[in-house]
Amino acid sequence: MSSLKSHFALIAALVSILISIFLFRLFNDILYRYQQNILNNYSIVIVSEKKITHLDLKEINSIEKIDISKQLNYMKKKFKNIDLSAIKMPYFYKLKLKTMPSPKRLNEIEEYLKSFPSIKRVLTYSSSQTKIYNLLMLLKITSKLFMVIIAVLGFLLIVKQLEVWKLEHNERMYIMELFGAPFWFRGAALFKIAFIDSILALITTFGTIYYMLHSYMYKAVISDLNIQVGLDLKKEALILFVISISISLISSVIVVIGRNR
Amino acid sequence: MGVLVEAKNLYLGYKNEPVIKNANFKVYTKDFVFLTGVSGSGKTTIIKSLYGEVPVLRGSLNVGGIELNGVKKSKISYLRKYLGVVFQDYKLIPEWSVLKNVMLPMLIAGIDKQTAENEAVKLLNKVKLSHKLDKYPAELSGGEQQRAAIARAIIHDPVMILADEPISGLDEYSANLVMDLFIMANREKDITIMIASHSLPQTFNIEYRQIHLEKGQVYELS
Repeated sequence: MSSLKSHFALIAALVSILISIFLFRLFNDILYRYQQNILNNYSIVIVSEKKITHLDLKEINSIEKIDISKQLNYMKKKFKNIDLSAIKMPYFYKLKLKTMPSPKRLNEIEEYLKSFPSIKRVLTYSSSQTKIYNLLMLLKITSKLFMVIIAVLGFLLIVKQLEVWKLEHNERMYIMELFGAPFWFRGAALFKIAFIDSILALITTFGTIYYMLHSYMYKAVISDLNIQVGLDLKKEALILFVISISISLISSVIVVIGRNR
Repeated sequence: MGVLVEAKNLYLGYKNEPVIKNANFKVYTKDFVFLTGVSGSGKTTIIKSLYGEVPVLRGSLNVGGIELNGVKKSKISYLRKYLGVVFQDYKLIPEWSVLKNVMLPMLIAGIDKQTAENEAVKLLNKVKLSHKLDKYPAELSGGEQQRAAIARAIIHDPVMILADEPISGLDEYSANLVMDLFIMANREKDITIMIASHSLPQTFNIEYRQIHLEKGQVYELS
């Protein structure tokens, strides 16, 4: 019974750490893709008297000229008494960005663009952009904090488990040491437990992840956000497997090294 | 007979507080030695120092050619493979069967499981525990546990067996059985035996030496 409890404690700790790591990576991916979605639909509009082919801003992904022929034709039809060909029309550009700038950086970009004498207007739509940016940042910080708390709790559970293991395995390791057993021999039983428990924790974690990814609520949220999650589950399984094995093996090595004399 | 253990101006103890002061003694191969003295005289300290559990504070302690003053941990592990240790409280692994406990030193030495098992079965036969192979230590009496512990101590043909109060707490019948096993190991396998005991056994029909401890001083009586 106590052995089952001991297994359960390590598996629970590992599962909480693995799930928090996976959710952290999933949230990051979702936020990144959502951000890219927003960026695709967002641009800074500038009105310039001269043609622009290059701007020295690291955030700029592309400079696209806005075709205003439709609007001109419309105006020609509406204002027949005005000779539009006599008027020199400015150039309109859309600046597509690579990353979502902070409100402060957006102001800096705006100031930079306005510093060109040829640029007459800059439209950043900063108020709606700021709201989205702040919302994303809030989500990022909250999710990170949440994951860190779960991971810390998991680690605390593992530390507790180390104490239990020290008590459980101390006598056996001491006796083995009296007969000159090498490190790997003394720790063999613990390493075996650690390996089995990390596999069980991985299976439990993936069961939970599978259930979550196939849940109606998750699918609805992803569909509402209009994004495609780009996490490769095989790669994630490998990452979580390495983390799980590493944590449990390092824990057991700590117990073998730190055996109470 | 060659010298197996040699102590010169030896100080032993814990945290620089010597229990044994300026000891000089020798133990030869195939010796049967009783280390006697009252409780607290330092018998256990000497036994523990011989397998490297108590550090040498000053002087020299040489066991099987290994100087234990300032010895590295890896050397201690190496030395222990050539020793057999027996304790008053048996120190059998509670979650292992008697058979597996006896196999332990052979498994540590890297001998294959089947050979170790065959050897353990033979020895358990000799110590009259063949019917308790699959039992756990808690299911055995004190005398039976001590016989299993002796079987474990001799299975790998050690150079020397160090036994700390191996018969105290046992009834006369069990104590005699245990002492017979030590004699058998000494006679049949030429294993040096060193037994820490508060007194000498009443009847003992083989040649032995006595090292006596009193107030931290060591006297070779025979």
